[in-house]
Amino acid sequence: MNRKTRFRLISALVCWGFVSSLAWAARAASPLPPFYTHWVNYTAANGFPAGEVYCVAVDGQRIWAGTEHGLVLIEHGRVKQIFTRADGLAGYAVMSIAIDRQTGSVWVAALGGLSRYSAGKFTRYTVFSSGLANDLVYSVAVQGKYVWAATAGGVSRLNTWTHAWRIFSVMSQPSAPFKEPWAYALALGARKIYMGLWGGGVVVYNQRRQTWRPYLSPSNSAEILLYRNQGLISNIVSSIVHRPRSKSFWVGTYFGLSGYDGRLWHNYLRQDSGLASNFVNSVALQGRRVWAATQRGLTEFDPATHVWITYRPANWRALDTATPPPLGRGEILITAPHRPPRRIATATSLAHNYVLGLAFQGRDIWVATAAGLSHGFASPTGDQHALR
Amino acid sequence: MKPSVLPAAAQPWVWIAAAILAVLLPASRAWAQAPACRPPASLRFAGMPAVAFPYGRFKKPYHLYLMSPRAVAYDGAARSVPKANWRRLAAVKLGFLGPLQRQYANSVYGISMLHGAELALAKANRQGGYHGKPFVLDIHNDKPLWGASAIAIVHMRFRQHVWAMLGSVDGASTHIELRAALKLQLPIVDTATTDPTVTETRIPWLLHNFPDDRQQGYALADYIFNQLHLKNVAIMRATNRYGRLGFSVFFDTARRMGHPPAVVLTFAPYQTHFGFLLRELQQMRVQGVVLWCGARQAGLIVRQMRTLGMRQPVFGSSRVAYPELITAAGVAANGVVAVSAINPDSSNPRWLQFRRRFVHRFHSQPGAYAAYAYDGMTMLIGAIRKAGLNRALIMDVLRGYQMKAYHGVSGTAFFDNTLNNIAPVTMAKVVAGHFVYWPEQRTDWRGHRWPACLEAAN
Repeated sequence: MNRKTRFRLISALVCWGFVSSLAWAARAASPLPPFYTHWVNYTAANGFPAGEVYCVAVDGQRIWAGTEHGLVLIEHGRVKQIFTRADGLAGYAVMSIAIDRQTGSVWVAALGGLSRYSAGKFTRYTVFSSGLANDLVYSVAVQGKYVWAATAGGVSRLNTWTHAWRIFSVMSQPSAPFKEPWAYALALGARKIYMGLWGGGVVVYNQRRQTWRPYLSPSNSAEILLYRNQGLISNIVSSIVHRPRSKSFWVGTYFGLSGYDGRLWHNYLRQDSGLASNFVNSVALQGRRVWAATQRGLTEFDPATHVWITYRPANWRALDTATPPPLGRGEILITAPHRPPRRIATATSLAHNYVLGLAFQGRDIWVATAAGLSHGFASPTGDQHALR
Repeated sequence: MKPSVLPAAAQPWVWIAAAILAVLLPASRAWAQAPACRPPASLRFAGMPAVAFPYGRFKKPYHLYLMSPRAVAYDGAARSVPKANWRRLAAVKLGFLGPLQRQYANSVYGISMLHGAELALAKANRQGGYHGKPFVLDIHNDKPLWGASAIAIVHMRFRQHVWAMLGSVDGASTHIELRAALKLQLPIVDTATTDPTVTETRIPWLLHNFPDDRQQGYALADYIFNQLHLKNVAIMRATNRYGRLGFSVFFDTARRMGHPPAVVLTFAPYQTHFGFLLRELQQMRVQGVVLWCGARQAGLIVRQMRTLGMRQPVFGSSRVAYPELITAAGVAANGVVAVSAINPDSSNPRWLQFRRRFVHRFHSQPGAYAAYAYDGMTMLIGAIRKAGLNRALIMDVLRGYQMKAYHGVSGTAFFDNTLNNIAPVTMAKVVAGHFVYWPEQRTDWRGHRWPACLEAAN
C-alpha cells in the first residue's frame, strides 16, 4: 500500500467516523415523544356504557366511541348521548367510525350493518336494503364521495353522489387476488385502497389503474415465522394504516406487527422488541410514530430511533381476573436500543390493558379499551425532561 | 498435618454431596411418576410428523407460534363481568349453528350434529340442568351461502343472550363466527368442521374437537407412503372449501416425504360423471388415488374407475368413510381405505350406551358428527356448571383442556395448546361390503407410549 492510497483510506475512515458520529448525536438528541402521564377514564362510573369499547373517532371537539352497547357521543368531557338500535343504528356492537369531513356525516360500522348519522337521524344500510356485501361490518372509511366498508363478505363501496354500490370480493372480482373474502380492515391512500383480509393478507387496489397487488405471508404456514423480515408476518390481518404521501403502511396481526416501507418489510414480535403483545388489535400513525393497540397494553414505536413505549395499568395482570382490584397507578415502559428498559409510574392509568383502538385529538390521545374509554393528556416538556 | 479449621458445613465434599443430591432428588421424583401421556411429536404444532415440518430440511424458523400455553390466552376484561343471576332466568340458552335444511349437501352432517347435541342436553336436563334451570338450544340454520348465516351469531348474543354456542360444519361459516366471537366474547365449541385453519387464528374463544384435515392428512400420508410404500399417487378433490383446504395438508406432507402427488384433479361438488378425469388419470399410471370429497361422489368415482379397468388402490378423507360410499360404488368399494373420525365398532361402554340411546330416540345409527357434538356439548355444559354464567370464565374452563385428554363417546380426544383435538384418528377399509376399523398407527409413533396410553386411560 503506497502513501497515497494510505492517505485516501485514512481520510475515508475519518469522514465515515465523522458522519456516523453526527448521525448518532442527532439520534441521541432527538426528543422523546410526549409522554401521556395523565389519564381520564370514561367508565360505567361516569355514565359511559359498561363493556368493551371497540373504537374511537375524533370530530373536532366531539368524540365518538363505538361500544358493545352502541354509539356514544362525548362533548366537553361528558357523555352527551348513547345511540342504540332503538335510535336507528343498524347494529348492536359498533366496530368502526368514520367522519365525512365534507358533509359532517358520521359513518358507523356495526355488527348488523352500516349506518350514517346525519342531521340528527340514522340511515341504515344492510344486505337487504343496499349493496352491502354482508351485515357484519368491521371497518368503514370515507374517501371524498366514496364510503368504503370492510365486511365479512368482502369490501363494499358506496358512491354517495349516485348511491351506486360496488362489491370487491372473490365472487365479484374473480381476477382480484383475494385468497379469502373476509375483510377486516381498510386504509385509504391518495389513489389506493389497502384492504386487510382475514386469512388473505393485504390486498392493495389502485383505483386509477384498476389493478391489484397482494401481500401475503411467504412462509404460508401459520405456525412459523421463517425469517424475521420475511414479508408480511401473518395472513390474518386485524388492522392496517397507510402513511400519507408514501408507499409505506403498517399492519397489525394477531401474530405481531408488520411494517412495509415501500421496499422492505420490518416485523416486530414481543420477543424481539418492545411490543407489549403479539396480539395486535389495531394500529395507528402519529407522524412517523406507530401505535399498536394490543391485548397487553398500548405500544408506541418510533422506527427512526427504535424506541418503544408501552402504556398500561401497573396492576394489569390482576385486572384480567373475576374479581379485579380497583384501577390503580399506571406504568410507562420504555425500551431503547443499548439501554436497559425503564419503567415509570404514573398516578393515573389507562382503563384496561386490553386495548382495541385509538385516535388523536391534537396532542391528546383517546384510547378504546376492554373496560372503558381513556383520554390521555400529553405531559408538558418540563415533565419529559424530568422523565428522561 | 494441620487439622482443618473449616466447619463441617463448609467442607467442599459437603457441598459436592449436596449438589449431587439436589440434582438427583427431583430426578428420582420424576422417575417415580408415570410419564405424561403426550404425543411424541408434541414439540411440533398439531403433533405433525418431523418430516412434515415446513421448511424443516432447510431452515429453523425464526419463531414458532401456537406452541405455548399462551397461544390462545385472553387478557381482556370479560372475566370481571358479574355472573348472571340464574334465579332470574327461565332457562340457560346455548346457541347452535349448523346446516339443517335437507336440500343442502352438508345437512346430513348438520342434522346428525343437532341430534348429538340434543341428546347431551337431554341428559344434562335429566340431571337437573343448571341449578334446576333447563339448558335449551337456540337453533339457527347455516345456509350454504355463508354470508347469510353471518348475522346468526349476533342474534344469538344480543337477542337470545346465549352463553356459548356449538357450530358449524362449514369452515367458512366457522371462520365468520370466530371473528365475531372475538368481538362479542362468546365461547364456541366447534364439533364438526375439518378446516384446519380455524384453530390457527389465535382467537381465544374456540375449542375444536373434530379431527381436522391436518390429522387426516398426516394419517393418510403415513399409511400410503410409509406403510404401503407407494410412491406415485394422484389426488381428486371437490372444488368446494372442504376439498380445497382439505387436500392441501396431505399434498404438502406427501411432497415433504419425497412423493409429490403426480396430479391434482378437481371436480364440481355436484358432478356425477368423472370419465374425462379418470381417462386422464389412466394415462398417468399412478399407483393410487386419494379422494377428498363426499361419500357419494367417492363411490361414483370408484365405480367408474373399476369400469374403466383401473385397479389402483383408492384412499379417502373422513367424509368418504360413510355407507353412501358402498351404496354408490357397490362391490367396487371393496378395498377403499379412508380416515374415519370415529370407530363405530368400538366396545367402549360410553360409545355403546350413547349408541343405544341415540337409536332409541332417533331410530338411526349415530355418526361421527353426532358423537363429537355430544362430547362437545357435554364439555360445554360441564364448563358452565363449573364456571357459572360468565362467558369468559366458561371459556377459561374449556381452556383448561390445553394439553389434556377428554374421554368421551367418540373416543379419547387430546387437545393441544390451540385447543384443537390432535388425538389419533381411526382408519377404515371396506372389506366384503362392510367397513373394518383399526386405530391409526403412524410409523413415527413406534416405540412410544402414545397412543396406547390414551386408550389405556380411556
